[in-house]
Parts: sequence; structure tokens; C-alpha cells
Amino acid sequence: MIGPRFPDLLAAAQGGDEQAFAVLWRELQPAVLRYFRVAAGEAAEDLAADTWMSVIRGLGRFRGDERAFRAWIFTLARHRAIDWRRRAGRRPTWVAAEELAEWPAPDDPVLQVLEGQSTRAALALVAELPPDQAEVVALRVLGGLEVAEVARIVGKRPGAVRVLAHRGLRRLARRVEVAGLARGVTR
Amino acid sequence: MSDDDALGPDMHRPLGFLDAALSADDQDLLDRLLDPASAPSGNGGLARLLAAATAPAAPEELAGEQRVLGEFTAVMRSHPPTLAPRRTAVPRKVLTMKAAAAALVAVLSIGGVAAAASGLLPDQASPVADQATASTGGDAAAQGLGKAAAANLGGTAQSGSAEGQGRASAVGPDATEAARAGLCRAWQAGQGGDHGQRMDAVAFQALAEAAGGADNIAAYCQDVAAGSSADAYRQNPASPPSVSAPPTSVSPPSSGPPADPGSPAGTAPGGHGQGGPPTTTG
Repeated sequence: MIGPRFPDLLAAAQGGDEQAFAVLWRELQPAVLRYFRVAAGEAAEDLAADTWMSVIRGLGRFRGDERAFRAWIFTLARHRAIDWRRRAGRRPTWVAAEELAEWPAPDDPVLQVLEGQSTRAALALVAELPPDQAEVVALRVLGGLEVAEVARIVGKRPGAVRVLAHRGLRRLARRVEVAGLARGVTR
Repeated sequence: MSDDDALGPDMHRPLGFLDAALSADDQDLLDRLLDPASAPSGNGGLARLLAAATAPAAPEELAGEQRVLGEFTAVMRSHPPTLAPRRTAVPRKVLTMKAAAAALVAVLSIGGVAAAASGLLPDQASPVADQATASTGGDAAAQGLGKAAAANLGGTAQSGSAEGQGRASAVGPDATEAARAGLCRAWQAGQGGDHGQRMDAVAFQALAEAAGGADNIAAYCQDVAAGSSADAYRQNPASPPSVSAPPTSVSPPSSGPPADPGSPAGTAPGGHGQGGPPTTTG
């Protein structure tokens, strides 16, 4: 989070200040990109760029604090992901881990996560979840959004969002533990 | 992947912590898991996974900075920032009156009796009413608002004089075409007012139908200023309003969930902020 500087940065960016916008972008771009790696696999870079164009065009009319700004950006991002899936004629399932390109090794991503920090591998594991769980976990964990914010973005009740996050985390934990036990890696 | 309970009971053993903790608010759990210092033992794998997922930005993730800044500068140069005019706490009743007045003028002007309405209008409503008249007076008369809708709108606007009389047989206008601009302006003029009341009007129901749901009206009407067609809206529902288009409406509240075209989320209650930036509060 940017914190107390946010209102000034936002106002400056809305007035056309490139450096102020750069601060906002650097703060949120990694999260947006990772969200798309879960939601749209190989199209992540392009969709993140598209999302920022939407942000730039709508920036002058945004009103709100930093949390609202985050939520707004992920609202735009989610629309991009939905459009992309529709255009690509994909079924409403999120990309499978195997489709994520450029693994350093063909290993199970769990092992990469356990043996060393690999953001891409961790995102691939989140992408393995059932689509609704993956979406909620991505928005909660990667987007840093609260339950109520995620609920508004995905159009579900907060209780449903909690359940989906709960199930997603449990499934992830099980996935990691099972693979870890098989390799004798876990503590 | 198998269902949650498909694994044998022994598989639950390492997850004792999760089973206990996840019944509480998962925000707390996430906070703890995401903080390596406080990540509970026995859950190291998941904690490490989440830590990896939220690791500090890698250089390649920020590689597009120059490109996006170039786009930012280009957009700001071609559309110099015209900040949306802030409406300072206009009382709700005034907004409602403006909506009613705008709708009334739009309807009456089509019937050729616009002059008669001028005496009824509060001064505050004049600019909005003028817009509505201008945008609906011509084409809309040919194929837009029907008489039944006019009667219904009039009834609503005059608060009871014709209340409900035309309702049973009322047919809303074709809000996807000629009447769209006028309906949108009338609707936008009253944004912030009482939705339930306004949605009583058949004309606004037609607008909602054209927009794909009452919650989508705001986004649907955002395209009016740009003059884009309804089809364009449907194909690109998430595109934000152009910076150069001065909003004619009170911006939608920030609490609106994104309408999700074609999915149940699009009709979630209270949402009409599709794609547009949220405003205030927060």
C-alpha cells in the first residue's frame, strides 16, 4: 500500500503528472500481472497492458481512497479476463497449469515452491484450483482485497467469497502437503 | 482434481491447523500466512506458496513501465485532463425533481406541448431539461417514446396526477435506439435519487432491458455522450468512459459491483458501476 501519500499522488496523476502515475503503476502492476497469470495464462502481459489503458482513460473520473483504487483496477482487470475468455472461445475454466509456459524445469510446481521461492510456480498452483476458487484466492491474495471488496467485484455474497477462499486455501494446502510428503520435503 | 472430501481421512491430518483456523474469518488466517514471521508451524507449505505468490516485484514484472508511461503521456496530451465537475452535495430531493422534470419535458416536447411544461419546472432543472429536449425531440418522435410510455412518465413526474393510469397497457420505448439518449439523460439526471421510484416508469424499464439489467444502465448510458451504438457497448462492456467526455451525470456510487455482462453477477443488487471508476466514499 502506498499509504498517506496516495491522495496527492492520485491528484497529481489525474493532472497528468507522469511520475506520480509511475508510482501508482509500480505499486499495482505486479499484482495485476499475477492476477492475469492465474486468470489468463499466456495472455497475462497483454491483458495487464490493456487494463492500464483503461485505468489511464478513466483516471480523471476516479474518486476514492487507495483501497477503492485497488478495487477499481481489479474490477477493470476482471472484465478484461472475462472478455478475453469470451473472445478466445474458452470455456469458463481458468488456464491449466500445464498451459503456463516458460517453466525453468518441467517439475511439479509444488516442488519449485517448496524448494525455493518461485512466484510463477505458486501462481500456477493457484490456477489449478476450480475457477471460482482460483478467482477468489487470486483477488484476495494477489490483489490484496478484502472479502467485501472481492464480493462486490465477483458479484457474490461475502459469505460465499469466504467459503470459496477457505476451500481454495485448503485445497492448495493439501496439494502442497501431499506432494511434499511424497518427496519427503516438508518439515 | 478430486472433490474436497475425496481424499482419505489420513490426508486431513497435516491440515489440522487449517481445519481449525479456517472456520474463523479467513482474513486473519491470510494475514498470518502471508507474514512469514507468524506463519503457523505445520502449515509451512501453504505459507511458502502464498509468500511466493506475493513476493516483491521481479524486474521483468516492471519491464513495461516506459511503455505504459508513454501511453499515459499520450492520452493525457490528446485528452487534457478535464476533471469531472464535482457536484457539491445537491440535496436528494432536487435530484429527484430534476429527473422528473427532465423526463416530463422529454415526453411533453414530443407531444408538442413542451411550452406548457415550462411553467411547471423548477429553475434548477433547466439545463438538464434542455438537453433532454434537444436529444429526444427529433428522431425519438418518429420511433421512440410511445404514448403509453408518455402517460406513464408524466404520471410519475407529476407525482400522482396520472399515477398508474397507463401502466397496464404501457409499452416502453425502444431504448436501444432513438430514445436512448433522452432516456439516458433523464435517468442520469436523477442518479443518486430514489432508484426504486424511478424504475417504476415503464420507459426506464425499457432502458433497463436495453442495458441488460437495471444495474447496467449507468454503464450503458455512459456511451451516450460519445454517440456509440448499443452494439459497441455490448462488445466492449468494460471500457471506461473517455476522459474527454464530460460526464453529465452524478457519478455512480462506489459500492456498485462490476456488472458482469452475460453472467448472473450483472444483476447483482445495487450495482451500476460497470467499468466506471468508483467515486467518493470508500
